[in-house]
Amino acid sequence: MSDVLLEVKDLKKYYKVPKGMLHAVDGVSFKLERGKTLGIVGESGCGKTTIGRAILRLVEPTSGSVIFDGVDILKLNKQEMRHMRRNMQLIFQDPFSSLNPRKTITQTIEEPLILSDMIPDPDQRFMRVMELMDTVGLAERLVNTYPHELDGGRRQRIGIARALAMNPKFIICDEPVSALDVSIQAQILNLMKKIQREMGLTYIFITHNLAVVNHFSDDVAVMYLGRMVEKAPSEALFANPMHPYTQALLSAIPVPRIHNRPERLLLRGEITSPINPEPVCRFVNRCNYAIPMCSKEEPRLMEIEPSHFVACHRVGDLQKG
Amino acid sequence: MNMEMKKPNEQQTTLEIKNLVIHYISDDEVVKAVNGVNIEIKAGKTLGLVGETGAGKTTTALSILNLVPEPQGKILSGEILLEGRSVLAMSELELEAIRGDKVAMIFQDPMTSLNPVHTVGDQIAESIEIHRKVSKQEALKQAKEMLELVGIPSERSNEYPFQFSGGMKQRVVIAIALTCNPNLLIADEPTTALDVTIQAQVLKLINELRQKYHMSMLMITHDLGIVAEVCDEVSIAYAGRIIEHGTLEDIFDHMRHPYTKGLFDALPDIGARRSELKPVKGLMPDPTNLPSGCPFHPRCDYAMEVCSRSVPENKWLSETHCVECHLYTDTNESML
Repeated sequence: MSDVLLEVKDLKKYYKVPKGMLHAVDGVSFKLERGKTLGIVGESGCGKTTIGRAILRLVEPTSGSVIFDGVDILKLNKQEMRHMRRNMQLIFQDPFSSLNPRKTITQTIEEPLILSDMIPDPDQRFMRVMELMDTVGLAERLVNTYPHELDGGRRQRIGIARALAMNPKFIICDEPVSALDVSIQAQILNLMKKIQREMGLTYIFITHNLAVVNHFSDDVAVMYLGRMVEKAPSEALFANPMHPYTQALLSAIPVPRIHNRPERLLLRGEITSPINPEPVCRFVNRCNYAIPMCSKEEPRLMEIEPSHFVACHRVGDLQKG
Repeated sequence: MNMEMKKPNEQQTTLEIKNLVIHYISDDEVVKAVNGVNIEIKAGKTLGLVGETGAGKTTTALSILNLVPEPQGKILSGEILLEGRSVLAMSELELEAIRGDKVAMIFQDPMTSLNPVHTVGDQIAESIEIHRKVSKQEALKQAKEMLELVGIPSERSNEYPFQFSGGMKQRVVIAIALTCNPNLLIADEPTTALDVTIQAQVLKLINELRQKYHMSMLMITHDLGIVAEVCDEVSIAYAGRIIEHGTLEDIFDHMRHPYTKGLFDALPDIGARRSELKPVKGLMPDPTNLPSGCPFHPRCDYAMEVCSRSVPENKWLSETHCVECHLYTDTNESML
């Protein structure tokens, strides 16, 4: 078995809209090793959620390939894909709308076990549910409660338990803590890390919160308008961000301290339209370092330092100072 | 500290809230949202009101303009003084005259606080027309100036909210709030719905305008990073009480309350990777069934026997710094 669990090659997802083609994800490639976490960060409309869904084929990719555990899953038929999904799960952002309000905790967690016919015996299934509740830190007395009786942190624990029910190898976590208060957010992040260690899970962690992603991920990929503009090991990305957008994104985070406050690089304007983008750098209108070349040709993602990939025409000049 | 000593002209107090208690009362339960809040904002200063879901931040903010939703919301006791005048004693007419004029509010979600069927120019002009008693034409002219001020080209005043992005909409909301040059701006999570690079732009704008017009501001947020950026003083709210208050330095460098420390410890630090975060144990208390004594005691690592029995009194540790915690009954030194 190779160390690479997931390889995504030139993945594209376009949507047809009245004004043309919306390039939600536009040629993204990366590899993810077993047991590791890849953080995907970016602002609204950068395509981070669409990537997650395209990998799981919850939206059908326009083109590209997704190789999971050696199998190109875009070539699987419905039946085979259904089987494959046991290994790939999703945790959603909003624990308030992702749970069925008419099902108890037990019913929600055991649903995948029933649908897949993995544990046909009801008693054994109940044992498994109890085991899962224990893993995610839900008290036994809550078995028959409904989502509305629980707070956001506990609801997110149900979402995690449900994702773990099938013993997956890989989980995509789409903004799993964004709807939670900070004191609860830390509890859920610690839980997800613990589970990853114990079960050897591989994560894709999608978020807009850079502090969380740095804490949580081995590698971080930064997206802008459907393209990956930078990807590097977390330490390298946060210590030495190379793409001008990554630099601005990092400096825009309000830091909770009052001394040694970093200087802020303010970006001009806002994100441009992802509909029929020109084949030029998509960041060019907001970039402080743009040169004529940037409006002529689209930069490719290149390995500037070992494992540190950047898509920018000016990265060479900027690194020299 | 003696609040009565008001130095004339210098250090005027814009807003003073004393011992405010607000409950939401329905047939089968009582939600104890605000349980004795004290707040003071001096002219030209910004106070950050920090807390998690259910801390009573928004209810407190709504009470300043007597907007607590009725009939469930009841202000049971306390005093709210706007430049020395009691808000709770004002008639509905008097209140209407100050809402949007002397005191303006910015809400969290710019998508829902604008009217989708009116142009942004009309929406800004409306508030000028009402409070400044000028002609429609003059109001529209001033509305265009306001748009320019917040960084939107005045030609766009004839456009509708759906034609603007989230950041631009929040700028429109800020323009509406500032049209009448308020003395107090209440900003309830004004950038929570925005992306970070846009948030940075909007915070910079708020900071510039605040200094230019010498406004006081109440900034409600859960983000300590934003507090560090825009506030002069901080009040930490928990279960409807202010459990610690001080200057930025008091709170960030010399925090005293275990909950304040817990809030800082739970944040992932962008500069340093730790393998484990330190969450505050347990959950926010249920406001229909608050714990006895100090509302934080079931989650507190330092809880003592007395904490479940009696609510700690507010204690001033210095001219600027106060805390509600039994740890400081006999000492001003940090017990954390």
